[in-house]
Amino acid sequence: MSVRRRLLIGAALAALAVPALLAQTPSPTSAAGSGGLNTGRGRGAPPPTGPAPKLANGHPDFSGVWQGGGPVGDLAQGMPKGEAIPLNDEGKRVMAARQSKDDPEANCLPTGVPRTAPYPWRILQTPTHVFILFEGNIHSYRQIFVDGRKHPEDPDPTWYGHSVGHYEGDTLVVDTIGFNDKFWFDFRGHPHSDKLHTVERYTRKDLGSIVVQTTITDPVYYTKPFTITFTGRLRPGEELMEYICQENEQDASHIKGPAGTP
Amino acid sequence: MSSARVKPMLKNLMKMSLGAALAVVGLLVSGAPISAHHSFAAEYDAAKPITLKGVVSKIEWTNPHARFYIDVKDETGTFTWNLELASPNVLARNGWTRKTLNIGDEITVQGAMAKDGSKMANARTVTLANGKRVFAGSSADAEGPAPAAAPATGR
Repeated sequence: MSVRRRLLIGAALAALAVPALLAQTPSPTSAAGSGGLNTGRGRGAPPPTGPAPKLANGHPDFSGVWQGGGPVGDLAQGMPKGEAIPLNDEGKRVMAARQSKDDPEANCLPTGVPRTAPYPWRILQTPTHVFILFEGNIHSYRQIFVDGRKHPEDPDPTWYGHSVGHYEGDTLVVDTIGFNDKFWFDFRGHPHSDKLHTVERYTRKDLGSIVVQTTITDPVYYTKPFTITFTGRLRPGEELMEYICQENEQDASHIKGPAGTP
Repeated sequence: MSSARVKPMLKNLMKMSLGAALAVVGLLVSGAPISAHHSFAAEYDAAKPITLKGVVSKIEWTNPHARFYIDVKDETGTFTWNLELASPNVLARNGWTRKTLNIGDEITVQGAMAKDGSKMANARTVTLANGKRVFAGSSADAEGPAPAAAPATGR
């Protein structure tokens, strides 16, 4: 290759690669961190640009396959600039004692809310229900009632809780209680109790991006409610694929050491 | 990723052929593949890179990770190594198929060893029998960009 060609290619690569690398940088101070946008594809086109679409009934249209939009390695990446997660002493104690091998996700159990896995997902809207379909981990779904019903008085605790939703303009607001205390918020092991209450606000900012803002309230492990923000990206032309984690899980028995490293 | 790491990488990119360089840029633009259901650093030691040359004895095109096993000979005998790839879905999206590796193939693997000392490693790149080097799309890339390698179906 000639020197001139190398220089030209180098300049082109620098122009292409540097913004991409910056976008990959974990951004604990960014309000809209890259979230879980970290499963690569060799043939992916950049997300399309353009206005967010609407359904015929005027509600926002969340169709498409998304990636990211929640914490994978570290919940703190979703905090506003300069703010720390308000763990109380008990929360800090529980987190410090956790071992990576015990992370439910490593053991093929669900992420719960608001954690995301580094796999694509899809929102399916109907007049009465919204479903969030996850490729992994695990290959499962969330069910959100948008028919006006209320939470039950004392729901049995579950991995995804009991969710009711409604639309506020361009935003889908999802209120969830009735969680179990088993899942972790991230690889670092941020804890929660069965008193967890989440309010998620899903807004399709434009055709290619969805902002997920989640307010977490859990008086058992946190001193006050706090809000994290992550942005998911559209994966044009993508479809969900099967992912049955339990099929051949061999990692958990080889995992060593405390939680804390992504 | 710090800018200190970006500079040598760009320098390396410039040494590569145009096709290979663009393939790597494609991976960067689309996101460095971290594709594990577990913390990479909790299981593998990025500071313990390993290169293994052997014959593929078994392939598991399964979740949560595709795996393959190779028989590696040294002066003391033959040992079977268990090598972790990304999930089949991530591999497929990066151009692999379940036939990219085949039993009997003589291959070379670069990866990171398991922390617990077992004969397991996380594969980062695989050099196939035909000399083509393919990116394993694995969780190892939580630690940084892939070495120069084309997608499995590249060129």
